[in-house]
Amino acid sequence: MKLICTTVFMLMLVTLAKAQPNYDVSLLPKELMPYASAVVRNEEISYEVKDLDNVIYHLKRVVTVLNKNGDDEGSIEVSYDKNTSIKYIKGMIYNEFGKPLTKFGEKDFSDNAAIDNSTLFADDRFKFYRSATGGYPYTVEYEYELRCKFSLTIRDWTPISSTNMAIEKSSYQFICKPDFLIRYKQLNLDSPVAIGNNTEGLKVYTWQALNKKALKSEPYSPSPRYFLPRVIVAPETFMYGNINGSFNNWEGMGKWINEKLLFKRGDIPAATIAYLAELTKGITDPKLKAKKIYEYMQEKTHYISVQVGIGGYQPFMASEVDRTGYGDCKALVNYTKALLDAVGVNSWYCIVNGNHDYKISFATDFATMGQANHVILCLPFKNDTTFLECTDQKIPFGYLSDFTDDRTLLACTPQGGKLMHTPAYGAQVNLQARKAGFTIDNNGLLTGSINTVFKGIQYDNREDILDEPVSEQRKLFPKLYPAINNLDVENYNFKQDKQVLPSITEDIKLNARDFATTDNGKLYFSLNPLNRTGRAPRDVRNRLTPLYINQGYTDDDEITYKLPAGYKLEFSPMDITLETPFGKFTANMVIEGDKLVFKRYIQLKQGTYSKELYSEFVNFYQKIADADNYNVSLVKN
Amino acid sequence: MNKFLPVVFCFILLSSLAHSQDFTYGENSPEELGMKKYNIDTAARAVVLNEYGKARISDDSEGNIRLSLDYHIKIKLLTTKGFDKAKVEILLRILSNSEEEASDIKGYTTYVDDNGTHQTVELDSKSIFTTKENKYWKTVKFTLPNLRPGCIIEYKYTTKSAALGSFPSWKLQDDIPKVNSKYDVHIPAFWNFNVSLRGPLKLTKNTAEFEKECFTWYGAKADCSFMVFQMDNIPAFVEEDYMTSPKNFMSAVYFELSDYTNPNTGQKIKVSKAWTDIDLNLKRSDYFGSQIKKKDQLKPYIAPVIAGKTDDLEKAKAVYAYIQKNIKWNKITSTGSENVRKALDSHSGTVGDINLALVAALNAAGIRTEAVLLSTRSNGFINKLYPVEDDFNYVVARANIGNETYMLDATDPLLGFDMLPLKCLNDQGRVMSLDKPSFWIDMLSLSKQRKSQTSSYNLTLQNNGKLKGTIVTYYNGYEGYEKRTAIKKFNTQDEYIEDLDERLVKTKILSLDITNLDSLDQPLVEKMEVEIDAFDNLNHNKLAFNPFFFDRITNNPFKLNERNYPVDKGMPSDDRFMLTVHLPADYVVDGTPQGVAMSLPNKGGKFITNFEAVGNTFTFSNVLQFTKSVYEAEEYPYLKEFYNKVIATEKAEIVFKKK
Repeated sequence: MKLICTTVFMLMLVTLAKAQPNYDVSLLPKELMPYASAVVRNEEISYEVKDLDNVIYHLKRVVTVLNKNGDDEGSIEVSYDKNTSIKYIKGMIYNEFGKPLTKFGEKDFSDNAAIDNSTLFADDRFKFYRSATGGYPYTVEYEYELRCKFSLTIRDWTPISSTNMAIEKSSYQFICKPDFLIRYKQLNLDSPVAIGNNTEGLKVYTWQALNKKALKSEPYSPSPRYFLPRVIVAPETFMYGNINGSFNNWEGMGKWINEKLLFKRGDIPAATIAYLAELTKGITDPKLKAKKIYEYMQEKTHYISVQVGIGGYQPFMASEVDRTGYGDCKALVNYTKALLDAVGVNSWYCIVNGNHDYKISFATDFATMGQANHVILCLPFKNDTTFLECTDQKIPFGYLSDFTDDRTLLACTPQGGKLMHTPAYGAQVNLQARKAGFTIDNNGLLTGSINTVFKGIQYDNREDILDEPVSEQRKLFPKLYPAINNLDVENYNFKQDKQVLPSITEDIKLNARDFATTDNGKLYFSLNPLNRTGRAPRDVRNRLTPLYINQGYTDDDEITYKLPAGYKLEFSPMDITLETPFGKFTANMVIEGDKLVFKRYIQLKQGTYSKELYSEFVNFYQKIADADNYNVSLVKN
Repeated sequence: MNKFLPVVFCFILLSSLAHSQDFTYGENSPEELGMKKYNIDTAARAVVLNEYGKARISDDSEGNIRLSLDYHIKIKLLTTKGFDKAKVEILLRILSNSEEEASDIKGYTTYVDDNGTHQTVELDSKSIFTTKENKYWKTVKFTLPNLRPGCIIEYKYTTKSAALGSFPSWKLQDDIPKVNSKYDVHIPAFWNFNVSLRGPLKLTKNTAEFEKECFTWYGAKADCSFMVFQMDNIPAFVEEDYMTSPKNFMSAVYFELSDYTNPNTGQKIKVSKAWTDIDLNLKRSDYFGSQIKKKDQLKPYIAPVIAGKTDDLEKAKAVYAYIQKNIKWNKITSTGSENVRKALDSHSGTVGDINLALVAALNAAGIRTEAVLLSTRSNGFINKLYPVEDDFNYVVARANIGNETYMLDATDPLLGFDMLPLKCLNDQGRVMSLDKPSFWIDMLSLSKQRKSQTSSYNLTLQNNGKLKGTIVTYYNGYEGYEKRTAIKKFNTQDEYIEDLDERLVKTKILSLDITNLDSLDQPLVEKMEVEIDAFDNLNHNKLAFNPFFFDRITNNPFKLNERNYPVDKGMPSDDRFMLTVHLPADYVVDGTPQGVAMSLPNKGGKFITNFEAVGNTFTFSNVLQFTKSVYEAEEYPYLKEFYNKVIATEKAEIVFKKK
């Protein structure tokens, strides 16, 4: 009898558990715990296209926060704007045993504008809720629904969106009418899509990710889009604002942008056209003409973002920029294009993924708007294609910096979209070459001069200081050369050469008292006070991602020290050579009469290397750091 | 005397008909148009040519009393870096019964066009945007069009507010220089404000006059005082490293309501005249006194926490730990609480919620505890000329046990008992109790808080060139808090150790023990067994060794030739390091650097190194100590020179050789 009772009771428990999922933290799989500060217990994301201007996004998520570091995963941020409205938000917090603690709803959320500093206006907003309980761990369950009035862009599904977060289960569904055509691409997922129909006869595409361990951050790894799971979906026909459209490749997309988004947005006033004609009078070379126009545009405009109208992907009218002198990247590119058109120079509006840390190219086989975040301009001269960054008021004509260099972008031409690749600046091009001549006297005083040329991407090392007033420049030198204590710059000069491959030459005459230390009849000084690499990157055991070097460079330093009379080296001179697949380093010193000549050369080659090379990479930098820390020790003869 | 202390104004009202005036809108002199550089400050990216404000309390046309400000400014933008001054953001409060408004916005840019002639473009009203930031604030934003280096921008607007007590302060000084800045203030006698000037600069003109019957309100009439604050040739404020809030040093005029007469009833309402008024106010208020009084409501929460404990200090520590754990700080800074019990139940609260709950809970446990109002470092110094409740932005608890007092902030679960976060170590705090008059305490000099770290290394040089041995480090006081915070960034201790091992590329951590990680009142102790790659091999006759292999100071943090403001470190610090190295039997110490002992003036700090070698063992010890929290600008050269010596000393190496 007793036995039966227990069985019945247990059955009941099972039934109950089914009705109400069990969020007891002790049920978490042990193998998901390493590096995890939060675990997504279950996530269900879906899109349903009811109509081209009525798309429903639904998210349900249950996340267990294990400790303080996971609090952000337990907080909820829901973005919306005038084209995306929130239909509802609700949720519940559970304690570590899965017992409900606090129920919350939309009224508990704060409502905030999401505008950055350079934006004058945008209607982006977000609602925010911070979960809290009297301890850890705890579990938050929430769901919300958004209604989107557009179908041009569908958010990518990226189940792993941050480090230190494990996933028990995450799924993504795309639901539409059976005859609604979509394109999709899945990256780094274990299992393929499952396609079926639901009870309402709608077509359902389902992807899922199960039991993903938490990642820890790994320095020098490629962009997460190259190794994390992702699903990109693009409807073949769509609506954006009140513009209908369709495309299924880059060519079609470029054509659509050109014909729909840029249509009739290039008119500029007759007075401006007349002025441009005057400005370029006598110039026949189209490239020189374009340079003149580009510099005119730079002088006249500056970057401010205003997102009104359909905003997002459509630029301001060129006439508006002409009148106000400001705009965002789209507006400034569209304006520059209009100016060039006025003097008969052809150019293309190009969308690109701008990023200083990674060179992210468009997927050549899959066209979506979402891959771009920036706009630049292309001048398709024969055998001399030139790209222009129109959002920077100082950057030299034709130079792109590390924001858009060496990547595949889309040029929107009247003939359709065209994938192109921007120029790469290699290790040899990004050169910092320095020659210094110093004298050290018996009291440790250093006097002398430094000449340095900064080229390619390394041009950016000194670009900002040029704009500063003299008083600020003088304050900046001790920060640029922190290893010269008591630095006193007697005079200095900068020479800027704004070519397509720009350079800056810096000349400094300086002195520094107590540069060398005297102690017990010895004289010490730091051999390399000018160019120090700093700490080696953190080593990573059991690394998962390849070694990625975004930007190669070359530093070539030579310092000649004239030493005080009567001293000799205490130790044998330093002489180091390192050769690796990713770079090269040499550092050595030689005594020539009363002179000590120090040479240091480092070259790092950009690229992606096998993860096995990473510890060699750390070692490479550690050896450089050691060499940079070398102190010369002189003793009396 | 501290030249940065604010001064209070005493006005003798003179009756006069002379009226101050706004400068003419839209009029630019040839000098202004042609100016290429501001001669007084050639580094200026922009210069304010003229700035005028007129603030008054008056009857608006719709039958409301409003506080209005007419603001008008003209700026010359000299370089593209000055363009930030053309981006205007007017911050408006959303009050419970009305929103503040900005109106009559107009502006223009005058620039030299492509053909070399002066052009003027008006600010388009369509380019003025209002954004609701959140439920408390909205902003009106605009930017002046057609900016070019050398252009002049001018704009004006009017704001209106129903918050009559918040009289707009006037920032005379900005990060760009000003040729002229003038503020006209009209205050009907119904309102009385305390006025103070902050910053070391002197006013060029400062008058107070009498305006007869300038204010009428349903038959009630009042005279006004009309004050003018004017300053010419105001230098740009240049921020320096290691300073507290620039607000402490920038020249500005502040207004604080002291009392007013209700124009409808004729009733006089004292806002703040003396501390006794504020004390009474706070004691009675729902957001402060009433919360502290909730000790009976909190007793059921506290009873199990202190059950079985007899010692007051033990009880206090238990209550402190309980509040730390049970209310999570929601990142909002405040001095009051809507409801401390609600905060306890919802496990989430502001600074005020958490620390007033702590005050109430400690009192519930029978420990006499006061609330201490203070201003954080970023919020600036407190005005001590007269009491101003709004100057405070933070509150902590002060427990009295036996003859000792303990300062407590429960917003951070890693702060030990009697420890305040660095942001609170600023100026003075006001101790508020329900039964005694309030009083000041010095947050810096009375603070017992220190940052201190003591490491001892005991290493043996192996034949393979590696140093093997033990490193023991004690992290005391605030240093312990910072170390705990760093360790807790990791999910487990193992993950912390792994990370540390990965960072110290040349050091292999063979084992690591952490003691007292959760005993916040004890020093945190880290004991490591390590193997350090010191030398590639020992095939040399002579080897040099720098004892500062982990944290050698090579950069002087103090680089300025001239210093204007104090260096504020918040608390004293003390770093001690002792290293013992045992060399292989066939090696002997060849030379050690000379020991160094030096100190800062007025016992401000010291740096001592000492070397000792006996046979094949040498010992090196080092002390770096800063005994003051704040170093005056006059002491800056000493600090700079002190660091020079430290850097020079830390370059020196110990040499040893084969016998």
